[in-house]
Amino acid sequence: MDYMNYKERRALMHMKSEKEEVLRFLDGQGIGFEEDVEYTMVLEEGEKVVGTGSLNRNVLKCIAVDGEHRSMGLMNRIVGHLIQEAYQRGETHLFVYTKPSNEVLFTQLGFHKIISLHDEVLLLENSGDGFSDYLKALGGCKVEGERIASIVVNCNPFTKGHRHLIEKAAVENDWLHVFVVWEGKSLFPSDVRHALVEEGTKDIRNVTVHRGKDYIISAATFPSYFLKEGQDAVEIHGKLDLCLFAAFIAPALGITRRYVGEEPYCPVTKKYNEIMKEILPAYGIEVCEIPRLSADGDAISASKVRRLIRRDDYMSLWRIVPETTYRFLLSEEGRKIAATIKESQSRH
Amino acid sequence: MDIVKTGIAGTLESSDLMVTIKESGEDGIHLELKSTVQQQFGEEIKEVALAVLRQYGVKRCKVSIEDKGALDCTVIARVRTAVSRACGNVKYNWEVGR
Repeated sequence: MDYMNYKERRALMHMKSEKEEVLRFLDGQGIGFEEDVEYTMVLEEGEKVVGTGSLNRNVLKCIAVDGEHRSMGLMNRIVGHLIQEAYQRGETHLFVYTKPSNEVLFTQLGFHKIISLHDEVLLLENSGDGFSDYLKALGGCKVEGERIASIVVNCNPFTKGHRHLIEKAAVENDWLHVFVVWEGKSLFPSDVRHALVEEGTKDIRNVTVHRGKDYIISAATFPSYFLKEGQDAVEIHGKLDLCLFAAFIAPALGITRRYVGEEPYCPVTKKYNEIMKEILPAYGIEVCEIPRLSADGDAISASKVRRLIRRDDYMSLWRIVPETTYRFLLSEEGRKIAATIKESQSRH
Repeated sequence: MDIVKTGIAGTLESSDLMVTIKESGEDGIHLELKSTVQQQFGEEIKEVALAVLRQYGVKRCKVSIEDKGALDCTVIARVRTAVSRACGNVKYNWEVGR
């Protein structure tokens, strides 16, 4: 078989027949397809698909080569193709989620291991110093103290509930590091969420607000496609995320506590909080779960804020968001986001 | 020339290489090479790449090269393209180095 006989091209996923073919191929390789991919390529021998790979923003996923066609460097072509495509789209910091058994394969393609979890999952990035640079930058924000706490928040957008959680943690500790989740899937963009948290906590002396970047709960890197049936994707992803936090991020800042708001609604967050209570104490990090702040007998949540925005109920909004967030919602930029919220049915 | 963004050039196919050039917080050129022919030609590939960077007057950057056994001419071409992209340069001066 000649290497040149393989043709690579973009799969036309909007065409039912092509999509079905890719799905069938992946299924045959024991890999599931994720609907959130933005770009899919196939490698064909004649009319037959012998390999495929997909891209979701900066994450390479759903990659497989047919068993009969391995050891011919086809993986190089798939990954090379996806890197080129990602670059064209302006994404240069790339991640791969895969099975730990694929480590050598991907390190040969220029990826570097960030962390692996037993024999369940392996996370790599295409930069040798991406994660270490992030940790180094974090280390520059280190504050000495006995009790150093942390909170990871999405704040989509920043509410009085978040403010309550941050205030409480700030009072109970010497210093508090707040990480704002950095990913573009939320209705409020990352820089807006970050700015609202920063403004809304300006008066608290012992708080630093950080950008979570790709290493803290980045939804873009949520793996599930290579997990065997019956395994809980949330559990595995949660474990990986929390091990990364406990083993690297927390030590960089000397963090000894992590605060988290009680989660009455979302099953994913609830599960994540449960795993947190299992993993973090093993690394000497205390987990403090704080009951939600209520207003009018109803727990305050960012999803409630978005519900009220959909209903144009700015009077009720005033009661559950800080003034800084309220002012933003009334601004031109805030109105624009409100308009997209009304159109969308997204949970986040 | 100043590196203002990440520039990538090349592929991972046999006889080619993929060059990534990034901004660096520190002075100097930090070059990292992984090659299928590292033992025989590792130092030579580095020298060729560094020579191109010198021609372009690049003083600070991070370079990573994933080499699959490329010839020198290929190394030169890929590094040139990656530098141009990383500098945000759209006017190529193909005469550089003559």
